Amino acid sequence: MLRRHLISFANTLFSVDKNVSNIVRAIHSSSQNCREVTDRKQMLRSLPTADEGTAGEKVLDVDSILHTRADTFPTLETPNKLFNGVPFMNIPIFNIRVSPNNTIISFTDAKGVPKMIRSCGIEGFKNTRKGTNIAAQATAITIGTKILERGIKTVRVRVRGLGPGRMSAIKGLQMAGLEIISITD
Amino acid sequence: MRHASFIARTVFVHNNDVETACRVLNRILGREGILDQFRRTRYFEKPFQFRRRINFERCKAIYNEDMDRKIKFVLRKNRTDPFPGSS
Repeated sequence: MLRRHLISFANTLFSVDKNVSNIVRAIHSSSQNCREVTDRKQMLRSLPTADEGTAGEKVLDVDSILHTRADTFPTLETPNKLFNGVPFMNIPIFNIRVSPNNTIISFTDAKGVPKMIRSCGIEGFKNTRKGTNIAAQATAITIGTKILERGIKTVRVRVRGLGPGRMSAIKGLQMAGLEIISITD
Repeated sequence: MRHASFIARTVFVHNNDVETACRVLNRILGREGILDQFRRTRYFEKPFQFRRRINFERCKAIYNEDMDRKIKFVLRKNRTDPFPGSS
């Protein structure tokens, strides 16, 4: 009799245990990831937003930086201002053309005469991989080191277009060892 | 759109801090609506899309104006009449 009681007690315990484990499972945070997404709109909302390379477009704390430093923006004297002994208007230019599918970096002198051109396609990235930030950074590093070998250290950068390579190309030029003095859109 | 190159839309880099300069530039372009305009004009905007966008912007402006007024009303201070509406 007692033994039967014990067994039933154990059974109830077991079932309770199972229930508890079920409940625990239900409130587990990983179940968030397993939720069913049937709606297209809902699915799009759950996806991360595509990287357009415009970091800081909606950041508000940048506004405070704008007023702290007066020399962030060019003035009337800027073209004649000296950077490492060279006036601003005679410093060579890096033109970065960014699109969602590719990044083209060309190096020109101060007048705009092209000297060297390099793109993610030339670099060896093909098809979809051309349009990634990693490809842009690798391209920028190779062209940056080549320019550095020619003895040019200070450059200014002009970017055009929106894409994943916008920021990383500039970062790659810096990683190559070049000193970027200004960024222009 | 043409602009004075290296005078307009230019940001100087301080202490080799490229990222901050980039963010400042993007923030300014975004706030002035240049990026929005760039995205919009890359492809032809059909007349019905144009109409819809203009109508939407109009409605949004009206709503924002009303909401601003409402918020200002709720948060107003230094009332001349301490119990408005009970005199």
